[in-house]
Amino acid sequence: MSGNMAEKAAQNFVEAYEAARTALPGADGWLARRRAAAIESFAGAGLPHRRLEEWKYTDLRQTLDKAGFASAPEHMGAVVLPEAAAASAFSTLDRYVLVFVNGRFRADLSKAARLPKGVELHGLADVLTEQWAKDLIERRFDEARQAEEIVDLNTALMNDGMCLRIRKGVKLDKPVHLLFLAADGGASHTRNLILLEEEAEGTVLESHIGEAASFADIVTDVALGDGAKLDHVKLQDESADAVHLATLRGEIGAGARLSSFTLTLGCGVSRGQSFIRFAGEGAEAHVNGAYALRAKQHADQFCVVDHAVPRCASNTVFKGVLDGQSEGVFQGKVIVRPDAQKTDGRQMTQALLLSRDAAMNAKPELEIYADDVQCAHGSTVGELSKDALFYLRSRGIPEAEARRLLVLAFLDDVITLAPHEEVRDILRGLVSGWFEEAST
Amino acid sequence: MLEIRNLHVTVDGKEILKGIDLDVAAGEVHAIMGPNGSGKSTLSYVLAGREGYEVTEGSIRFNGKDLSEMGVDERAAAGIFLAFQYPLEIPGVTTMTFLKTALNAQRKARGEEELDAVRFLKLVREKAKPLNVNDDMLKRALNVGYSGGEKKRAEVLQMSLLEPALAVLDETDSGLDIDALKTVADGVNALRSPERSMIVITHYQRLLDYIVPDVVHVLSGGRIVKTGGKELALELEKSGYAGYGADAA
Repeated sequence: MSGNMAEKAAQNFVEAYEAARTALPGADGWLARRRAAAIESFAGAGLPHRRLEEWKYTDLRQTLDKAGFASAPEHMGAVVLPEAAAASAFSTLDRYVLVFVNGRFRADLSKAARLPKGVELHGLADVLTEQWAKDLIERRFDEARQAEEIVDLNTALMNDGMCLRIRKGVKLDKPVHLLFLAADGGASHTRNLILLEEEAEGTVLESHIGEAASFADIVTDVALGDGAKLDHVKLQDESADAVHLATLRGEIGAGARLSSFTLTLGCGVSRGQSFIRFAGEGAEAHVNGAYALRAKQHADQFCVVDHAVPRCASNTVFKGVLDGQSEGVFQGKVIVRPDAQKTDGRQMTQALLLSRDAAMNAKPELEIYADDVQCAHGSTVGELSKDALFYLRSRGIPEAEARRLLVLAFLDDVITLAPHEEVRDILRGLVSGWFEEAST
Repeated sequence: MLEIRNLHVTVDGKEILKGIDLDVAAGEVHAIMGPNGSGKSTLSYVLAGREGYEVTEGSIRFNGKDLSEMGVDERAAAGIFLAFQYPLEIPGVTTMTFLKTALNAQRKARGEEELDAVRFLKLVREKAKPLNVNDDMLKRALNVGYSGGEKKRAEVLQMSLLEPALAVLDETDSGLDIDALKTVADGVNALRSPERSMIVITHYQRLLDYIVPDVVHVLSGGRIVKTGGKELALELEKSGYAGYGADAA
């Protein structure tokens, strides 16, 4: 193994690969070769660090070197969900539930029987012989190479995940909810594959919870056929000692629509990456999110939307509230290729600083090579308006309540963009709960 | 009800009010008139307790209590209401939520029972009707996209719902056409009662045709330079403020 192996964490991952290699899913087929190539390039590059433009504000190398995660153990016994409200979020919805503990699927805790005809749900190991899975895993986006390169780590070490395929024209009757619980400390590598064929529709909810010092490395690969519609909502509320790295790669067919929303409340360090590429005309992508941070939390949102074809619309809005010494990051890019006329591409990030020690770094970018397009991007960072606080208090609303109202109003603006009214209500409840914790 | 004695107020290190004495008894409506920069708005903000308005000398007592000891929301719960010259737009908070939160916060602070959704809705509709505030307006974000007239009507609705002991109306006539002014004035007049006092701050006499005051004060250069009956307002309308040590603006 060549390359820069000075870093402890990267070395641990390579060693973990060597130790697990023969036991990993797909050890006897194409994936074994793919994994070998991936770990080699990972070992060469090492973990990403601040000197890379796309990781400028989040030093994953330093974070993981310091944390020193071993591989998460397999957890066989009963599990106890954390007390946090996020742990039971979505439980009021009629849904299929797939539970993953320490990154591994637990059939005994899951409830996904009687799926409609034309809907297939599998573990990662079960689909590796299928061409569509291979296509999704091997696909690359490359528009943000430094950011995407870390997917190699996942490819080399992924040992479980949810694979959802919805056949042409089939509509999933209720959401699939993936509940990821970090019951013990350590690193887990999960790969989810989602294929919606032409005109198929479905909703996938993810929650990532846990009180352990864990490192979750999740890659979700999505392909939407022409006219397909996927709603994807991800909630992350892991412990202050946890590190969370989630990458969503989506290829969107003609007239298809991806609506993705992320709520980030937890983790010491988290990074959510989205790579979206339009493969057919008249498609839509909504990549939105909210985050509420406190203490020394650090959350990085990275989003690239590639308008490779004409007449597609993309909208990205991330809004966050930062208290304590927390730090938020937004890096986004909308690329409009020379042929992608009539593109409508928008990107906006807004942060509200509740403390003098909180910080926000925002870098929205547009790269436009077509002339008949509508594109806009913007970024604001501000504090709660003193005038607004005075106005509310002058009506008898105590200061803490006035602040709560204004913060929730600020976030509600983006929560409104999440799919499904019931889901929005759940997200609102979580944000409201976060604020009450903050003020007690 | 309100006793102001030798009140000196500084804003950003600059003295704006330079010794105000004012007594407003229960049930009285006092108008405070004066040119721009005379300290009218400062007086309204200092009554409401706005940050940055520092009382350097003198006192304000409200129903026997020293106001300087009370925070902004405590003053509101005690019965002081300021109708803003420029009501703020609060995106994301519906007018309905705002009104309910405010009313229940005040009731709670006074040890009264909070209203449930049903009773609140009934009450707010009853108060909103005479002010031509419909459900659609109540469901919108507070003051967002409201016209000038709608904003002022919403202020009067807040006042009507919160039933303050002392209402301070800061340039409530600004930006209103004559019809809107009448609606707002009717709303205010409906709230006049022997227990409720009002301070109507205005640059122009026009508003006082509709909200007829018991006493008129002229504020100039941070002091009350003249006090009289309602006829004083008419006098000012003719002669302007030129005779009161300020430009005729």
